[in-house]
Amino acid sequence: MSKIEKALKRAGEERGNLQLVPAAAAGGRTAPWTAIVGQQIQVPETISRMAENERKLLSADELWERGIIHPQHTGDPAVQVFRELRTKINQQSQEQNAVILVAAVSEGNGGSFVARNLAAAFALDSAKTALLVDCNLRNPSVHQLLPKATLPGLADYFENPEMDVSRIIHPVGIARFRAISTGGLREIPGEYFVSMKMRRLIESLRERYRERFIVLDGPPMSDIADTRILSELSDYVLVVARHGRTTNAQIESGLNAISSRKLLGIVFNDEPRIPWIR
Amino acid sequence: MQMYPEQIVKALINESFHSRRLVVGMFVLVNVVMLTAGWLWPKSFTGSTSIVVDEKSIMEPLMKGAAVATEMADRNRNAREVILGRRIMGQVLERAGWLADHPTTLEQEGLFENIKARTTVTPVGRDVIKIEYRDSDKERALFVTKTFADLFIKEMIAQKESETRSAFDFIDKQAQEYQQKLAATEEEIRQLRSSNLDARPGSDIELSARLIALNTRIENTTTELREAQMKGASLERQVNGEAEVTVLATREGQFRARIAELQAKLDTLRLSFHDTHPDVVQVKNQIQDLMAEASAQRERREKAKPSQRSEQDETVVNNPVYQQLRRELSQNQLTIDALKARIAEAKRLLQEEVNRGKGLHSGDARLVELTRDHQINREIYQDLLYRRERARVSMNMDSDRQGSNFKILEPARSRPSPNAPRFWQFVLGGVVLGVFVPFGLLFARLRFDPHVRLANAISERHKVPVAAIVPHLWSPGELAGLRKELVMLALVVTVTLALSATLSVVRLLGVL
Repeated sequence: MSKIEKALKRAGEERGNLQLVPAAAAGGRTAPWTAIVGQQIQVPETISRMAENERKLLSADELWERGIIHPQHTGDPAVQVFRELRTKINQQSQEQNAVILVAAVSEGNGGSFVARNLAAAFALDSAKTALLVDCNLRNPSVHQLLPKATLPGLADYFENPEMDVSRIIHPVGIARFRAISTGGLREIPGEYFVSMKMRRLIESLRERYRERFIVLDGPPMSDIADTRILSELSDYVLVVARHGRTTNAQIESGLNAISSRKLLGIVFNDEPRIPWIR
Repeated sequence: MQMYPEQIVKALINESFHSRRLVVGMFVLVNVVMLTAGWLWPKSFTGSTSIVVDEKSIMEPLMKGAAVATEMADRNRNAREVILGRRIMGQVLERAGWLADHPTTLEQEGLFENIKARTTVTPVGRDVIKIEYRDSDKERALFVTKTFADLFIKEMIAQKESETRSAFDFIDKQAQEYQQKLAATEEEIRQLRSSNLDARPGSDIELSARLIALNTRIENTTTELREAQMKGASLERQVNGEAEVTVLATREGQFRARIAELQAKLDTLRLSFHDTHPDVVQVKNQIQDLMAEASAQRERREKAKPSQRSEQDETVVNNPVYQQLRRELSQNQLTIDALKARIAEAKRLLQEEVNRGKGLHSGDARLVELTRDHQINREIYQDLLYRRERARVSMNMDSDRQGSNFKILEPARSRPSPNAPRFWQFVLGGVVLGVFVPFGLLFARLRFDPHVRLANAISERHKVPVAAIVPHLWSPGELAGLRKELVMLALVVTVTLALSATLSVVRLLGVL
């Protein structure tokens, strides 16, 4: 079962749950993000306007369940790590917004996890917003965050010249956090990244809001061509290597694909640590 | 990559947490393997027994000098050879039932070697031999050890018996031989004596005395003979000097004597008278007459001489000295002849004695030799007789087991082999190995796995900063799952340990 199918199934189940669970049972809890499913979100692209739309945010536990950090989990070392990472990037970019490519050395290294959480970390800051762009065409994952997997994404944007950028930017139930999926469930050729349109898209996304940090969820670095193009489009590159999954040779070849000038460093992911031992 | 001990420990803890199932799985696996190995490890029992070779039996002082106890000390040394020898081994194989399924000769060889390898024969001190035999079967270990001891003792006693018997037989044979020799010598001496009667002790002394006597006699006689001969020679000479008849007594002699008287008268007359004086002429005439007469007489005698007819000369008178000398000479001749005869006789006797002495000496030498042989043989024979009786007593002692100086000091008993690994050792080893093997493997993986497992290894290797080390983000569901998993793993470990402990106790109590 593919990840997409899983996501669809889960979405369906959750929707079902919503229908079954009485409102009283939900109590004072924040409505699950699935509650907003179906609403066509025409997000006004300002933080203040974003804030209006964010009544239906996901709870800390729900985010936790989905593997996304939440400020409430201050005790969790992961939260701390991503905050530090964010601070590091902030220092590097001198408080300017930036385009950050997060690329895993190889598949299964958790590149998407790091990208997602890095974006979330940026979003923790009330003065900043984060935009997660799914650039992993072969194994997309951002759509799982969206209320509906079929919401328009990059593919739609490239195929439809008239489409406005705002139509592909979707809220994900986290404050100041937006995402662009690959769009639909179809394959999009890598050549799109080379196109001027992509460049323009990134530029416009960056230029439009100064407080917006754009995180590109890149393909594995084994896909050297895409990695190289995307690294050119971005300001910084974070390379994700997962404990016990990556060989030094893979890291070596991955590092060769990107400019060392843009390289922020390596994120060592999934370091084993006993959770109760801080 | 340089790693500090605390880093290693931390990394190992994290790694073991990460690979917790593997660790627990390995722990269980190692324990199970060790338990199985311990359970299936062939049980080893050692049967042991001690045999004392008692040289100072009660019989010894009693029989001291009369019987010789067979020396046992050296047997300790070759006890192993005896016990593991083919004779005893073959019987052991048979009695212990190894031959029940009729193994081939080659298989039997294998069995021999096998049993040999599991048997130890150790001399303890001077007098004690310890036999140990290992086997997986308790009863068989006991049985084989017991059989070894029994057969060994039997063998040794038989050996001892046969030894004393052969010693007796040998001495007996020797005694008989000497008896025969003695008899033969005695017979020879008897024959020698009978054939040579003189040949008896002391006859040589007698002979020499006789020889000396004879020699003395010959010498004396020879001296006498020589004296007689000298006397004879002297008499001969005297006889030759004496006339047979006195000359004066002859006519011619009387004439000559008258003539000489007349001549003297003439000479005297001539001093006083001249030749013409009558007296002188008368005297002269007388002389002439007498001279004619004497020459006539001489002629007559000369004429009578060839006819060997003694001229009866009325004036011949036999010389008495001559007669006397002749008589003595003749007497002396008789004496000489007698002496000569005596010497010859003595010489004959001497020769006889010498001849007899020669025969006596050769016979005597043989006799002496025979006597000496006889003497020695008799001594040896008596000694042998004495020894034979001692040997007989020794033999009887051995056959009555009175001199049996083998005793089982410690009866055969069977117990678990001291050196064989115990079950609890397997269990303990399992637990220890169960901990160390996974950790060792984890450490090896940490060191040699090409996959990156340590963040600082990346920065060190690629000279790239590590921007962040992201721990695993545990979702509540995952945490719950982890809790369950850890409980399960703990349970598995507990069950494993409990199983080990239970099996150890069961094994210890000998229930199974």
